Amino acid sequence: MSTLDSVRESYQTFDDQRFAPLVKGVVLFTLLAALPFIIEIDVAGMELAATLSLKVLILTVIYAYTAQSWNIMSGYTGQFSFGHAAFFGIGAYATQKLLVDFAINPWLGMLVAGIIAALYGLLIGALSFRFNLKGHYFALATLAFAELLRFVVTNMSELRGANGYFKPFPRDYGAEYGLVAFQFQNDLPYYYVILGFLLVVTVISWAIKNSWVGLYFFAIREDERAAASVGVPSFRYKLIGVAVSAFFTALGGAYWSMYFNTIRPDTVFALFKNVELLLPAVVGGPGTLIGPIVGSFIVTPVSEVARTTFTNINGLDRIIYGAFLVAIVIYSPRGVVSWPSRARALWNRVRGDTEVSER
Amino acid sequence: MRHLVTSVAPLPLQGGGLGRFIDPFAQFLTDVANMEPVLLQLLAFGLLLGGVYALTALGLTMIFGVMDVINFAHGVFLVVGMYTVWLVSTTVGISPFVGIPIAAVVLFVLGIGVHILTVEPIIEAPQQNQLIATLGVLLIIQSAIEIIFTPDPQQVELSLGSVQVGGVFIPLGQFYALLIALGTMLGVRAFLNRTDLGRKIRGTADNRDGARYVGINVPQINYLTFGIGAALAGVAGGSIALFQRFDPFTGETYLINAFVIVILGGLGSFPGAFVGGLIVGMIQVFGGYYLPGTTSQVLIFLLFIGTLLVKPEGLFGGANA
Repeated sequence: MSTLDSVRESYQTFDDQRFAPLVKGVVLFTLLAALPFIIEIDVAGMELAATLSLKVLILTVIYAYTAQSWNIMSGYTGQFSFGHAAFFGIGAYATQKLLVDFAINPWLGMLVAGIIAALYGLLIGALSFRFNLKGHYFALATLAFAELLRFVVTNMSELRGANGYFKPFPRDYGAEYGLVAFQFQNDLPYYYVILGFLLVVTVISWAIKNSWVGLYFFAIREDERAAASVGVPSFRYKLIGVAVSAFFTALGGAYWSMYFNTIRPDTVFALFKNVELLLPAVVGGPGTLIGPIVGSFIVTPVSEVARTTFTNINGLDRIIYGAFLVAIVIYSPRGVVSWPSRARALWNRVRGDTEVSER
Repeated sequence: MRHLVTSVAPLPLQGGGLGRFIDPFAQFLTDVANMEPVLLQLLAFGLLLGGVYALTALGLTMIFGVMDVINFAHGVFLVVGMYTVWLVSTTVGISPFVGIPIAAVVLFVLGIGVHILTVEPIIEAPQQNQLIATLGVLLIIQSAIEIIFTPDPQQVELSLGSVQVGGVFIPLGQFYALLIALGTMLGVRAFLNRTDLGRKIRGTADNRDGARYVGINVPQINYLTFGIGAALAGVAGGSIALFQRFDPFTGETYLINAFVIVILGGLGSFPGAFVGGLIVGMIQVFGGYYLPGTTSQVLIFLLFIGTLLVKPEGLFGGANA
């Protein structure tokens, strides 16, 4: 027995403990919390911060958060939504509308936005599931609901049409820079706020997965008719999935609107936003807890670093990103989370050891 | 089309509330009651636009129907067709009309290449993987065009003028595009119904497993279908280039409307694609005239959602490609 095997064995013993998920979560989030400082560590005259700025980290965590939210609906219940920009956009717009026109604190506005998004999600879900839309048809329907909102907002002067909203100063709604105002003078607090969001949605995802709700979700994903036949109220549980997912996605949109200076229909409701929001989950491994986070740390920095590196040729970054997308879905259809077991299988094959097959 | 819309005095759209939703329709009904000549003109524009829209949906509906793949790269395939016609006519100096078949050949080859590299390996994988792969292709081709030809809008130098038929103004560029669309649709229909290969494609669309059992080489049909679908996008893009300016990002709007048409008409149905194209074209032309901004697009999406819910198999569902 090699050292590798004994390491794996002791990890297995740890993994079987009840407290294992908690320990892993604490380790992961401690690491994430330390990340802004880790990237500034000088290693042989080079620091990660040269390519990986705090801004990129914030974006990465935003998309990890939205993908985790998307995952609750699409990863767990298997209803592939291609229109989460609808919820994201609602989150951004409702928050800004309440903030700019009524001076309502963004934290409160954010919750209102989440509820509106959840209601819109319920509407989409109730219609689509009642009429039994599946697969491509469901994906296209969700996309249509998102595009619909893009054009509605663009044509509504009450929501400032195509110009969108410009984030006001804290004093405009009677606040000071800080947590209460949801606005900070520098990026570091912003990072910890979105990390907090990610922590919340991850804990809730974990709680869902480990409850009977999650059990119902996965039963629906695996075989809806079989689930229904043993008494899973699939219609109701799919709706719960959409509503929870929409609510949290909207909070992500609200954060977006408080971090960046402007929101426009073409940014928060953009066609490509639908993809960006869910991509980390698909890359990381849909239906898993760690997948969206790992996926975002792979996808988002590639996109951002490519953008900042190849500034001389406009568009080269998107070619690299596109090729990356194609490569990842072809070579890793089950997501990054399957890499360790695939690597182990490969290792075993190399050693000529066939008894331990791929897990 | 634009200049006509802007030359007419803006409609009375003052006041908020329900008025702004009802007024345009009231205005439309008044015009219908008065038999305004502008209606005939709008109808002509709707027909011209709708025919081209139908053509843009043809390749998409074929790939969707046969392979059950949502090809997001379809919009950018259109753009490649536009640039091919433009390149051929401006640098080589050949007529754009000759450029259209060239675009079809270019796209056929490109389509097969894309299929072999990106779709074939994951044809059995979950659908979201195909969706993301074709989106990756979209990004690659779109950005490549942007790098090679700059993001500035381009235009095929072609002054075809227009004719007046009974007081109706018909731009010839769009008219020829409509003729090409109709000709292509009839041609593809004949190909699918009368040739051996066409029957194999229809058989595969009908039942992939069954097709395999009777000895059809399904992987081969797959890449041919993808190539033909892309070639149809080339023809469609080339026809659009006859009358419209374009840039690397033009494909996005056409792509979304093509999806609407495919669902509206029914998956894999050619008459459906034609009727769906006409419906979308008419809504856009009439909506562009009567409704403010891009509100017509809202109507199109509402119609799309309504169709998906009530009759997801589409108006002409059931019929095969």
